[in-house]
Amino acid sequence: MQKVKDGPGSQAPANAVQKGGSKSARAWRRLRDNHPFLIMIFPAVLVVFLFNYLPIYGVLIAFQDFMPGDQIIGEYTRWIGFQNFTRFFTDVQFWPLMKNTFLLCIYGFIIGFPLPIIIALMLNAMKSKRMSKALQTIFNGPHFISLVVLVGMLTLFFGRYGLVNNIAAHFGGERVSYFLESKAFRPLYILSSNWQDFGWSSIIYIAALSNVDLGQHEAAILDGASRFQRVIHVDLPAIMPMISVMLIMSIGGLMGVGYEKVLLMMTDGNLEVSEIIATYVYKQGLTGVPNQSYATAIGLFNSIINVILLIIANTTSKKFSENSLW
Amino acid sequence: MASLTLKDIKKVYPNSEEKKSKKKKKGDEPEKQKANLQITDEGVVAVQQFSLDIADKEFIVLVGPSGCGKSTTLRMIAGLEEISSGELYIGDRLVNDVAPKDRDIAMVFQSYALYPHMTVYDNMAFSLKLKKTPKAEIDKKVREAAEILDITQYLDRKPKALSGGQRQRVAIGRAIVREPKVLLMDEPLSNLDAKLRNQMRAEIIKLRQKINTTFIYVTHDQTEAMTLGDRIVIMKDGFIQQIGTPQEVFNHPINLFVAGFIGTPQMNFFENCALSVDAGKYSVEVLGKKIALTEGQNKALAAKGVKPCSVTLGIRPVHMQLDEGGFTGKIDVSEMMGSELHLHMNVQGNDVVAVIPTAGLDVSAHSIGKSVNFSFNPALCHLFGEDGNNLL
Repeated sequence: MQKVKDGPGSQAPANAVQKGGSKSARAWRRLRDNHPFLIMIFPAVLVVFLFNYLPIYGVLIAFQDFMPGDQIIGEYTRWIGFQNFTRFFTDVQFWPLMKNTFLLCIYGFIIGFPLPIIIALMLNAMKSKRMSKALQTIFNGPHFISLVVLVGMLTLFFGRYGLVNNIAAHFGGERVSYFLESKAFRPLYILSSNWQDFGWSSIIYIAALSNVDLGQHEAAILDGASRFQRVIHVDLPAIMPMISVMLIMSIGGLMGVGYEKVLLMMTDGNLEVSEIIATYVYKQGLTGVPNQSYATAIGLFNSIINVILLIIANTTSKKFSENSLW
Repeated sequence: MASLTLKDIKKVYPNSEEKKSKKKKKGDEPEKQKANLQITDEGVVAVQQFSLDIADKEFIVLVGPSGCGKSTTLRMIAGLEEISSGELYIGDRLVNDVAPKDRDIAMVFQSYALYPHMTVYDNMAFSLKLKKTPKAEIDKKVREAAEILDITQYLDRKPKALSGGQRQRVAIGRAIVREPKVLLMDEPLSNLDAKLRNQMRAEIIKLRQKINTTFIYVTHDQTEAMTLGDRIVIMKDGFIQQIGTPQEVFNHPINLFVAGFIGTPQMNFFENCALSVDAGKYSVEVLGKKIALTEGQNKALAAKGVKPCSVTLGIRPVHMQLDEGGFTGKIDVSEMMGSELHLHMNVQGNDVVAVIPTAGLDVSAHSIGKSVNFSFNPALCHLFGEDGNNLL
């Protein structure tokens, strides 16, 4: 009887020769094996490069005394170092802008981040799938309303002669110009934004919930869990990785609020709270006597804050949970 | 521990409103059969006329091919599926409308269905926590169950850090920690590899001796059914085909389906055999040879008043032996299984399998393409009438 002398793993695998070779040979083989996928991904890479990376070149004007019509890098380029940044930090508007931007974003985040999760969990837990789908469609509707129309609707509802004031007046109340009230700006802005987007934002969580193992729900039913307990103990943990990723991305974009809606809602009455970094950049860069170098420096500063927040959020998430972007 | 009674249980998955309206437009259509599903005006019938009494502490195995309704029956017992009609009693209590958590049952799922974010300990303790059981008692019960299943060392791990077999033990642990009256198992071993499945099968037999409760076990694997069950319920197309002990269903299959389903390799069938009777003695002609039936078989056929007719003769491969004076066949495939040799033969156009013990056998003399002579003991053959039912 012949005995096997070699222990397990003592022989090289049959494909060892194929997998060996120099680094360049292995790289070439990977390229050859994956070329259909690389061809497929190429257009996306090209678009990202052209529209996201190439324009970064323009950031250079933050360090120049740039005038419209100048070359970014040319014979007459006037480099001024960090002067634009120093000017912004010493600008009388600096702290109000930071405060307004931060508060608008943080309030929006506190309300807007959990809302789609709650909605997704509720829709998923509904017994009637038909009703759940109908509600989902209804909730998605506002997302397709343009910002101008949305602010128009807000005016119709909250304007001095809008629906809310008409009702208040009918019951003897006093008419209030909500758009001229500083106190009303943030609630109006945040609640209307969330009303518009909570349905749309919940789609990603609904998709994640559709992958939850039905067996776990059935096991929980047999364990005696109520519907709410199943949401807490089965559904929520199942979408936690998705929540972590979305949380990191949200924190990364925390200070990146856009200027369009704020500009549409901005009035002299609420200017002290509605002037944020984005609107200030817009005004400095594109209105009056444009100062594009200064506007770019402010925008760059804002982006750097976002990147720092993203890194902090990702590192924290990596440390305390198993989920992170990288 | 509790007995169970299932009285004429039926499960119909109703047609959707869309299908109903389509059917109305088309007019009345007769009942039809799609694959193995019966489709009626009510909907798709998954289980019907299911009546069974399960004794306290009995181990019942529901077995049948995919789509036969065995899992649906189990889920109806669990309360995860509504019972369309019929009555289900656990002990003396009618539980048709009782919530699953109040039925005092536990279930082990095919997919384990463990909570991935909880440790093994928390998975096992979850149901007790929901019942607001005191912490000390939870700890005692979980550790006892873990001890029984030999998973104490994994209590702090999460399910993803366990192997398939360990996960299955945790799933069983989660079920037994509740000390249920009835333990339901839905194909619990089907996700495991063959070796682990054999090992876990033995573990379940040991577990049964330790926890002493009523088991209802669903499987499509007839080996599991034969080795685990006190009684086996064989199902097909939503109907019970036969209920009996493993020996009963193996030795006295009630019809062609049961005869073919139980036993590996499958029983050999010889169709269109002429059953004749001469002076009260029955004989059957198979593969051109007339075989006289035994005294017992004669009595059984006479008692049923069986007249000469065409029958299907069934003989299990293990009941065949090499015999120079018997039938001649040509070997198509020869499978050496160690202690036995599986010979797949062609005998006058019929595919026949014989299981021959290898002790003292010249295996090389039974290779592919060679001729072989075999016979079988008539006392061990089965006769099935034209309706497929066993005549003996």
